[in-house]
Amino acid sequence: MATAIEKCVHCGFCLAACPTYSLLGEEMDSPRGRIYLMKNVLEDKLPAEEAQPYIDRCLGCMACVPACPSGVAYGDLLVGYRALQEKERARPPLDALARKMMIETLPYPRRFRLAAAAGKIGAALAPALPDAFASMLSLLPDRLPPPRPLPAVLPAQGDRRGKVALMLGCVQQALAPEIAYAAAHTLAANGVEAQIPQAQGCCGSILLHIGAAEQAQQIARRNLEAIPSDVDAIITTAAGCGSGIKDYALLFKGEPDQDRAADFAHKAMDFSAYLAELGLREARGFDSEVRIVYQDACHLLHAQGHEAEPRKLLASIPNLRLLNIADAGMCCGSAGTYNIDQPKIAAELARRKVESILAVEPDMVVSGNIGCMAQLRQQLKSSGNPLPVMHIAELLWQAHQR
Amino acid sequence: MGPVARIQALVRESERVHVRGNGSKPALHIHAAAAAPVDLSALNGVIDYQASEYTITAYAGASVADIAAALAEQGQYLPFDPLFPAEATIGGTVAANLSGSRRFRYGGVRDFILGAQVVDGRGRAFRVGGKVVKNAAGFDLSKFLVGSLGQYAIMTELTFKVFPDVPRFRSLRFNYGTLDAALKAIYFSNQNVYELDALDLLPAEDGWSLLARLGGYEETLPRRTERFADGMMQGAAACAVSEVADEASLWDPLAGLPGRYLCKVVLGPRQIPALDALIGNASRRYGVGGNLAWIASDDCAEIEQALKQLGLSGLCLRGDRPTPIIGRPVDNVLAQRVKQVLDPQNKLV
Amino acid sequence: MMNSAFFTALEKICPAERILTRDAQLLPYESDALTAFHLKPGAVVLPESEAEIIDTVRLCHEMAVPFVARGSGTSLSGGSLPIPDGLVIALNRLNRIKKLDPEQRIAVVEPGVVNLHITQAAAPYGLYYAPDPSSQSICTIGGNIAFNSGGAHCLKYGMTSNHVLGMKVVLADGALTQFGCESVEGVGIGPDLVGLFVGSEGLFGIALEITLRLMPQPELYRTVLAAYDDLGRAGDAVSMVVASGLLPGAMEIMDRLAIKAAEASVAAGYPDAEALLIVELEGEAPQVQAEFEQLRGIIEDSGAFELRVANSEEERDRIWKGRKGAFSAVGRLSPDYIVQDGVVPRSRLGEALLAIGALKRQYGLDVANVFHAGDGNLHPLILYDGREPGALERAEELAGEILALCVSLGGSITGEHGIGMEKREYLPAMFSEEEIDIMQALRRAIDPKEIANRGKMFPGGEAPALKQQGMHPLEKQGIISRE
Ligand SMILES: Cc1cc2nc3c(=O)[nH]c(=O)nc-3n(C[C@H](O)[C@H](O)[C@H](O)COP(=O)(O)OP(=O)(O)OC[C@H]3O[C@@H](n4cnc5c(N)ncnc54)[C@H](O)[C@@H]3O)c2cc1C
Ligand code: SF4
Ligand code: SF4
Repeated sequence: MATAIEKCVHCGFCLAACPTYSLLGEEMDSPRGRIYLMKNVLEDKLPAEEAQPYIDRCLGCMACVPACPSGVAYGDLLVGYRALQEKERARPPLDALARKMMIETLPYPRRFRLAAAAGKIGAALAPALPDAFASMLSLLPDRLPPPRPLPAVLPAQGDRRGKVALMLGCVQQALAPEIAYAAAHTLAANGVEAQIPQAQGCCGSILLHIGAAEQAQQIARRNLEAIPSDVDAIITTAAGCGSGIKDYALLFKGEPDQDRAADFAHKAMDFSAYLAELGLREARGFDSEVRIVYQDACHLLHAQGHEAEPRKLLASIPNLRLLNIADAGMCCGSAGTYNIDQPKIAAELARRKVESILAVEPDMVVSGNIGCMAQLRQQLKSSGNPLPVMHIAELLWQAHQR
Repeated sequence: MGPVARIQALVRESERVHVRGNGSKPALHIHAAAAAPVDLSALNGVIDYQASEYTITAYAGASVADIAAALAEQGQYLPFDPLFPAEATIGGTVAANLSGSRRFRYGGVRDFILGAQVVDGRGRAFRVGGKVVKNAAGFDLSKFLVGSLGQYAIMTELTFKVFPDVPRFRSLRFNYGTLDAALKAIYFSNQNVYELDALDLLPAEDGWSLLARLGGYEETLPRRTERFADGMMQGAAACAVSEVADEASLWDPLAGLPGRYLCKVVLGPRQIPALDALIGNASRRYGVGGNLAWIASDDCAEIEQALKQLGLSGLCLRGDRPTPIIGRPVDNVLAQRVKQVLDPQNKLV
Repeated sequence: MMNSAFFTALEKICPAERILTRDAQLLPYESDALTAFHLKPGAVVLPESEAEIIDTVRLCHEMAVPFVARGSGTSLSGGSLPIPDGLVIALNRLNRIKKLDPEQRIAVVEPGVVNLHITQAAAPYGLYYAPDPSSQSICTIGGNIAFNSGGAHCLKYGMTSNHVLGMKVVLADGALTQFGCESVEGVGIGPDLVGLFVGSEGLFGIALEITLRLMPQPELYRTVLAAYDDLGRAGDAVSMVVASGLLPGAMEIMDRLAIKAAEASVAAGYPDAEALLIVELEGEAPQVQAEFEQLRGIIEDSGAFELRVANSEEERDRIWKGRKGAFSAVGRLSPDYIVQDGVVPRSRLGEALLAIGALKRQYGLDVANVFHAGDGNLHPLILYDGREPGALERAEELAGEILALCVSLGGSITGEHGIGMEKREYLPAMFSEEEIDIMQALRRAIDPKEIANRGKMFPGGEAPALKQQGMHPLEKQGIISRE
């Protein structure tokens, strides 16, 4: 943490990339300001509670990281700081309740299904509930889709070009099992054998994101056990999980599992990046032109640096026209549990994002992350333009089947 | 006593003083007939010219022609293109802020002045600005001198940034049926990649003309000229386009402007139609892509009224008027504050 | 004074939630990009309209509360450093482009608009806003105006001042005024007040609305990167280009250490060299092509051991990205640094660089050089470690020697970053006592209570959080003296 703080030369270049700064226009809500606040707290010059509201407002979108010429590892700083503060932090009762619920339900597909069903009943009460609850409810679909089971191994079609393990994702598997389904089949269709270990669990990044490091570690260890080591790559289809797994090395730093975790993290790769590197087998594509906006997930674009790869994949599909939108790198406000923690800012970011999407008049929106998809779907709906929103795996699978 | 000390003494001893360079703009001096004249004739010539630095320093009384000649020897020029190139002094050019048509390419007097040595209304001699092409230290009073009409400080020495000149030029004339069509052509050109040395708009026999000048290397000019002509015809069709001889008189904005009174008005191209409708009897030319009007006429009242009606101010260069400012009076609180510091007794008129 | 009466009155102008007074809100405003200075302001106000700014300034004047306007806080001279018991007026929420008229090539903007956003808004019309400080992605027009900011591409079309056509300002005593006009000619009739206001470092008042000149995007860029095994040789190459009569859009030099930093930061793929020279031609394609042939010949004759030409927009971006990120990239090499901004006559560049080399050895500090070679504007970055006792002082002293060097070579102590807090003691190296008196008098005529950015630009007063140790280097050399 100290090096991250020292490396910051206060040049302000990161301000331009930061969604909360662009929205609020105040220094405390900028990366530079947050680093300075964390520095003051760590040096005992400022009580942590005073700084907390501004650290809480950080989306963790990592847009400030590639924007920083000085190489400040803001992500490491934030995760470390949050974990440190979490230990000492007393939260107001309602927040604590929401948090507990999040810690105990989000990472567990089955529990989450149950909670969601309960939430459905609670929806009627939404207006009477505080913001945080209300937005959690509003994100849930009207009814959970039926599960889409996958075998333990989906063999490659034709010549085998690779062998991977597929991470299913926790929330995602409950809300949109069709994503993993489409990903596995697209991989297979492109000559990649997909192993789908049944004992895997949540990657733990949502927990890490809100500073629950201990619980995150427990869950991550389960994955180290469950995923075979003889695969070329460990594929994720949710941006947050991908960058969460990439953080495993940090999570297990100084622990016996450190090396294994580092190896695991090293192999983790986003679905689109893996396929882009491999190259698609010929896809049939669409019969007439389809105009598409690709929405960058922060954790793909900023945290993992995948700007070109998904675009390259999409560009290789016949009759697909990729459109550019303004401020493409700006977070849509979904950012893990941000929607739940900071509903107002999240809503404004979503509004702006949808505004720039609609400006280019697309037929559909594609993203590599379920959080972004849910956010955009909802915002598109409330703006009266319910365009289809798809995961890139779903789109590829569709294009392939045609 | 040196020439600067003499000016200081004169300022200290006199109630009112007034600078007159070479008198190329007679209307600037009429109001000050009673003031003690400042003689700049001893402050003549180039002081320091560093072609490799793109800078030149000259006495304020130096003639623009001498400076241009010195620069031309090294293939350089004053990009703001001083008006009255044959008669004016450099000090007068700065004080009245008078650039010619070529100003269009890189900028006006304010864009090329770097520093000055001055004597203020309290008789103090000091330096403002710097001598290198870039300097951000202190308040930039050297720019303030541009257009100051000698009423805040008397310039004795001036430093400018200069540029390499281009070897060749070609000129084109486009004819349009209406003013509106000609303005549209300017707007079209403004949004394109053409880098013109000058672009002037003037009334023609049966409509309006745009005069455009391109400068550059001999070998590239034919292509650029052709491309520009074609582009303009496609983007904003003219009735006719023709290449015209690139003569000095073509690019003297005042050449075809007879009349007892002559004045300069700063405006935006969108203001031209309203102004033009009110001064139909005057001869006129709109320079710098329509951002400047040169108006000449025997009927000063018509000009004055038009300017007042549109809230514009002008500077009279020729003609007998009690004050050189015409139209809306010029008055600004920031300028007053400067006056208060540099010339509290209002000696410089 | 900032007493409760002041706050009561301020709350009538601006709602309380936009008046920041808690520690966690104030600390982030403690310093700008020059972190050697920091000072917690009395309060920060976030106006959202022109009227709020005017009323706030008037209130400050009435109650003699000092204020500093703040854009994005990227000043490198401590220009936006808060004033003890003073108010920071943060203008970031006034970030609207009010008017964009591509036909007349002008834009009217609020002061908190980010420099690059203007270019982005003008791009669909084939236009751009020319001054390009390396910080253009975040610095504001208000800040650019205060310092007359420049950039790599200011050789041909000038600095901020040359692109501001008009503005509306509230002077420090509350007077509201407007000057310049919506004409590319800029100065109307009367003295050039825009030229006076630009570069006044926030001491005259606050710019509220600014009319800017836009330029047509050059049709073609030709960017050349030349590598030398000797810094002096790169400097000579610049002189050769100038002597040839070419007028490039930009000429920049980086030395070994700066190359290393840029490389670490953006992996620009720069050659391994003692010095890199970037020359860029811009303009109409046929003309630029012809100039490029000439330039290539010159560079080939200049002793460069490698010559690269950008053949695509990406290659050009890469060359520039390394250069533009070079300042902050130095943060990768050293925990702290001071950037200097002196100017020397171009013909004495080589001499200046040699002298800086000798000085850095003498002080035992690393200095990275990145500079606008076309106009002799040096940017030596002095690397030091603030935790090491005495390191800052040594760095400061070295910085002072470099400034003295620039002045003695006939240049200036600042080309574009301004005097601010950092160089105020050096102003006497450039101007006589009388000249400084006149500037002070002008300041007081506009701001009788000296509330606007008090303590900046003019010598005197104690610098916060940084005491001069012993004699100032300029004092030692007898250039300045203190009573
Ligand atoms: C990495 C880096 C690279 C840089 N590169 C360059 C460069 O290439 N060229 C260059 O010239 N500069 C450069 N700078 C310096 C800096 O970016 C400029 O000085 C910039 O203009 C400051 O803008 P700002 O919005 O951050 O202003 P701030 O730092 O917030 O303020 C600067 C000054 O402007 C005043 N001010 C702000 N708004 C107004 C207003 N509306 N009216 C009146 N005064 C106002 C403030 O009071 C203060 O004195 C660089 C800085 C950094 C950190
Ligand atoms: S860009 Fe990097 S060095 Fe600059 S302020 Fe932001 S975090 Fe600090
Ligand atoms: S992670 Fe995102 S929200 Fe947080 S400081 Fe960085 S850019 Fe801003």
